[in-house]
Order: sequence, then structure tokens, then C-alpha cells
Amino acid sequence: MKNRKLSASARREENWGWLLVAPTIIGLFVLNIWPFIQTIYTSFCEHLGFGHYRFIGLDNYIEMFRNPDFWKATWNTVYFCILTVPVGIALALFVAMLLNAKVKFKGGFRTIFFLPMVCAPAAIAMVWQVIFNGDSGILNQILGTHIQWITNSKTAIIAVAIVSTWSSIGYDAVLLLAGLQNINKQLYEASSIDGAGKIRQFFNITLPMISPTMFSVLIMRLMASMKVYDLIYMMSDDTNPAMADMQSLMYLFYRSSFVAGDRGYGSAIVVWTVALILLVTLIQFWGQKKWVTYDI
Amino acid sequence: MKKFLRGMAAVLLVALMLSVSGCGASDGKTHLTFQIWDTNQRQGMQDMCDAYTAQHPDVVIDVQVVSWNEYWTKLEAAAESNTMPDIFWMHTNQLLYYADFGMLADVTDLYDDVEPGYYQNHFSEISLGNISGSDGRYYGVPKDKDNGVLVYNKEMFDAAGVAYPDDDWTWDDLTEASQKIYDATGNYGYLAYLDDQLGYWAYVYQNGGYILSADRTACGFNQPGGKEAMEFYIGMQQEEWCPDQNFFTQNGAGATFWSQRAAMFMEGSWSLLGALKDHPEMLGKWDIAKLPKAPDPVSTPESLDQDGRACMSNGLCYSTGAHGKNLEIVKDVLKYFGTEEAQLIQGRSGAAIPAYLGTEESWRTAFEEYGDPINVDCIFEQFDYAIQVPYNSASPRWKSQVLDVLTQVYAGNQEVDAGLDKMTEIVNTETAKKLAGN
Repeated sequence: MKNRKLSASARREENWGWLLVAPTIIGLFVLNIWPFIQTIYTSFCEHLGFGHYRFIGLDNYIEMFRNPDFWKATWNTVYFCILTVPVGIALALFVAMLLNAKVKFKGGFRTIFFLPMVCAPAAIAMVWQVIFNGDSGILNQILGTHIQWITNSKTAIIAVAIVSTWSSIGYDAVLLLAGLQNINKQLYEASSIDGAGKIRQFFNITLPMISPTMFSVLIMRLMASMKVYDLIYMMSDDTNPAMADMQSLMYLFYRSSFVAGDRGYGSAIVVWTVALILLVTLIQFWGQKKWVTYDI
Repeated sequence: MKKFLRGMAAVLLVALMLSVSGCGASDGKTHLTFQIWDTNQRQGMQDMCDAYTAQHPDVVIDVQVVSWNEYWTKLEAAAESNTMPDIFWMHTNQLLYYADFGMLADVTDLYDDVEPGYYQNHFSEISLGNISGSDGRYYGVPKDKDNGVLVYNKEMFDAAGVAYPDDDWTWDDLTEASQKIYDATGNYGYLAYLDDQLGYWAYVYQNGGYILSADRTACGFNQPGGKEAMEFYIGMQQEEWCPDQNFFTQNGAGATFWSQRAAMFMEGSWSLLGALKDHPEMLGKWDIAKLPKAPDPVSTPESLDQDGRACMSNGLCYSTGAHGKNLEIVKDVLKYFGTEEAQLIQGRSGAAIPAYLGTEESWRTAFEEYGDPINVDCIFEQFDYAIQVPYNSASPRWKSQVLDVLTQVYAGNQEVDAGLDKMTEIVNTETAKKLAGN
């Protein structure tokens, strides 16, 4: 950059480039990067009220790491990811393949599967609350059980995971569908001439070809699951006996920062969550070399 | 490049200035904003503002409703950036936080030219408690007051052949009636759900216990009166006539009562008018009574001698920011809101029971529209022994932690007594921390 000599027109062009990306860059800085730096700073402070902070060093982190509720929430978050991500992506791929096949009303099916994505999470949570109701819910009636889905400490998080998976399948399926449609049909034709069956084709052609798309879906889904908050907030409330067994890190953050007004402590939870997400994403980028195929 | 950047900065600056100067009225009148959280009270607030602006045509007041969930986040952000609404409702839970931080205008001297001791003469002690900062100054004009009553289903009492609750009802009568109704009709009796203001608080005070001591520094969950009351209240969920907390979380107490699956529950006076409106099919089938009293209250030096009676009372107030632009005009509006005339307008609209002593009965007007179907008198009579809802400046910190422990008690993961000790410790620790910090 330093020794580059630009003509007047090239410099003008460069200025225009800066001008055109300015709104995005400024927005990114003002709305994302700066608040994040502030969050890190806040996590080392005690909130005195109305935006006044006092620096207290590592106290928030010490308190956080000593708090069993925090570790419980961390485990709940990890458990939630284990419950939602593998099953969710497998189901989404299955749905995508069905939608990619030659079936009647394909457009109609695609719309139906995408519909949960368009619905407001509040509405989704309300409907599922009724379905899960331990007293009069339809799920218990179908299964012939008496499970208190939302208030039993073992099933509460599973109930939230089911709703989360259900509402994300459509979106993930559409992304995977796009990946499927990019696969060259000739590959299938050539392999069937060579005598490959459907299952062989799936593992040797479909999976490798779609792995880049799956990788991005995996990263997105995992991040979303680690940040789960809205469904828990909507499907439960503070008086739920199973709250301790279903609250995620983000829910704990909400309660600390906005219910108890302890924004410093809340920020420490956020920083911890970001560190977790960063770690998981790094592992994924490292692991992708082993299974993601970019060159066929 | 430099020139270019400078040019861009200028463009941005002009854009910013344009957007800022965009607001501001040009009709020469003073425009005030008035923020509240209850849609049901909008009309009552509007009527009151109209009455004021009729006398002061140069003032325009815009009533804005913000839902309770966003209200406090929004107000706090506004306070930080000095853009608070001109007038807003203030809640007892939050007043100390705002007032102690110097965010609210001191209105102690508001009525000095009208009548010395105006506040003391026209508002109850509880109302004054609700507007006082830690320094004893007043930071709001009392708006209303409330308390909790026992709502019951008359048909279920009739079906079980049990007499309706009366003034002498005790906890024993409550459980006995619940059992009889359950046996006779299969419906639930009293709904003892996890709640403070509409639940265990009143039981603790009735039994001679306390949540916070008179000076608000010590917690009494594990004191004899409190302990016994908490054990009784939590224990009710073990009875066959009361659903457990799993049920309440999923179904809600109110919904259970109004769908005619239970005979009794505790409800706040502020919800009764809405209940009449929302459940026309229940009209005439239900009534209200005073809360049952403790049969054998514990007597300690701290306990109040009220023969086992108590109910919790709270009240809102109208406040304004300490650094508002139109402080003088706003104070004049606040002054009007605290007059008998304005409080009568509020009462008649059915919005809430006015705080101004002697105007309470005006609230009855709203019930007459429905043919006066419930015994509103018992609410007014309960004010005789009402207790201000317990709070201190550390409330925001301990409230959610206490709730966490209580849900564990209800879930059976924590023994009641150990839980009460833990809750007491939480309140005491947070309170001491707050006091040490200030």
C-alpha cells in the first residue's frame, strides 16, 4: 500500500469504495464492535446504577465460577446443543432430500416446512406450551402418559429442544436443498452405471458434495443453540420448579442484568459464553479439514 | 483524501443536526409526555390530563403506554441519557433506586402554598411510605392504592353446602372449606400458588411474622411467625384440594379459577374490574371476601397486634425526572394530579382506588355499571390493617434470588426450613452490601 502510486481516477475510485462500504463498517463498529468492547469492560465492573460503574477487577468472574447455578447453566447450554444440533441437522438433511425428490406439490411442502421460520417465536412457544401441558396437553393424550413436560427437571430442557429443532428444520433444509441442487446430476448417472446403489450414492456423492453447506449450517445452528434464550423465556417463567435445570447461559444473563440489575455480573456471563462459542467454532474449523470436501 | 474525509464528516454532521432538530413542536404550546404501563388505565389518565389541559390550554399532554416488561428497561435507559418522559408512573420496587440516585425531582414542597402538611393530611402512611426516598423526602405524588382479597366461586360453596367466607374466617376455615368443596364437587379448593404479593407475604404478616423488619434492614423468613406461615402456605400444595406448583406454572391460578375448576384464590383489587369485563358468563357466580386471618398468631416484640389480620398494600405515584426541561410546568401538572378533583376523576374511571383519603369510594362507580355484583366494601375495610409491601433499596438484588430458592423448595430439592434460612441470609447479605455501599 505504501509505495503504490495511484492515478487521480484510481484514487477517486478508491474513495468511492470507502464511501460505499462506510455505512456497513460504521454500523458494524457502532452497533457490534464497540458494544462488545464495552461489555468486556463492564464485566470487570460493578453496576452502581444508571450507567455508573466501579472497577472491581475479577470479582464478577470469581463470583461466577463459584456459583453452582452458573455451572448448571453452562451444562444446560451444552446439553441443549447436544440435543438440538445433530438431530436437527440430520432431520433437516432428510427433509431437504425429500424436497429435492420428484414429488407432487413440492412447492407446497417447501412452504409448509419453512413456515415455522416465519412465525413469531412467541406464537410458537404459546402453541407448544398448550401441546406440552401436563394436565390437558395433546402430547400426553397421544402418548398416554402423564409427563409434566415443562416443569419436570428431566424433561423441561428436552421440551425446549424439541420446539427449537422443530422451528429450525425448515430454514436449515432450505439451505441444504440449495446445496443438493448444485450437485451435478451426471455424478449420479455415472455412479449408477458403475453399479452404485442409493445408499452408496448418498455416502459417496451426496454427503461429500454437500459438506461445505452442512459445515456452514452446523456453525450457524451451534451458535444459535448456544445463545438460546427466547424459547426458554417464553415457554417457562420464574416460578417453574424446573427453572434451574432448563435455564441457559443467556437466560441467566438476562436475569442477572435486567431483573436483578447486576449488569457487571451479566456481562461476565456474556464474555464466558462468547469464549465458549469461539472455542467451539475454532474446533470446528480445525475439524472441518477432516470431513469437508471443497474440491470435486 | 483529507479533503474528502473532511467533506464526508461535514455531510454526516449536517445529517445528524437535521435529525435532531426534526423534533420540537411549532404550535407554541408546551408538549408533555406521560408514560404509564397499564392499558386499562389509559382512559382514566387521559380524562385527568384533559381536565388539566382544559384549564391550561397552552399545555398538551400525550399519554403513552409501554408494557410492564419493557417499562423499566426503557425508563432506566432514558434516565441515563437524560431523556425521561415528562411525567411517569413510579413503582415502590423501583422508587428508591431512582430517588437515591438523584434521578427524580423532589416534590416535598409542592403543596406548601396550598396547605401545610398537605401530604400528611390527605394521604395514608402507606402512601407516604411509597413516595419517600431513603432521605425521607418525597419523590412522587401518590396515585392509588390496592390490596389483595379472597375471590370465591359461590356456586361451588353452595354445591358443597359450605357457608361463604365471612369476616371471622381463619386459615383453618379456609382449609376445611377447601376439603369439603373438593370432596363434594371434585373441584380444587384454595389455590396456594407461588407468589409474594398475592401469596405468602400476607400469611407471614398475619401470623405475626415479617419479611423485612420495621427499619427494613433485617429479614424474618426464619423467625417463628414467618416460618410457621411459610410452612403452612407451602404445605397447602401437599393437600389433595390444591394443585402443585407444576400445575400453576403451566396453567396459572387465575385461569384455573375463571374456568371454574377451583373455588378460591387470592387476587389483587386492580384485577377485579378486568375480571368482570373478561368473564361475563361468571357474573353473579362469584364474590370477594377479606383474607382469612391467622388462627393463632405468634406474638413477638416485632409483631403487629392485629388479631391475626393483615393484607399487603401497594400504591403507585406520579413522578418526574430531576433534570427535565419543563420542570416548572410539569410540577404544576403533578400538583394537580394530587388534588381531590384529579383523584376523583381517576377513581370514577375505574382505573384504580385513589390514594387521596376520602375519595376511595369513587372507585365504586365503575362497578355499578355491572350492577354492583361484588362486595367492594371489604377492600376498603381491609385498608384499616393493610401493610405496605416489604421492600428496601436492595430489593431488586434479593427478589430474584429469593424466588430461585423458593422454586427449589417447591420442587422438593430443598427442605423448607433450610430454604427459609437461605432466603433470610440472601436478603440480609444483599441489604448489608447495599447499605455499606451507600
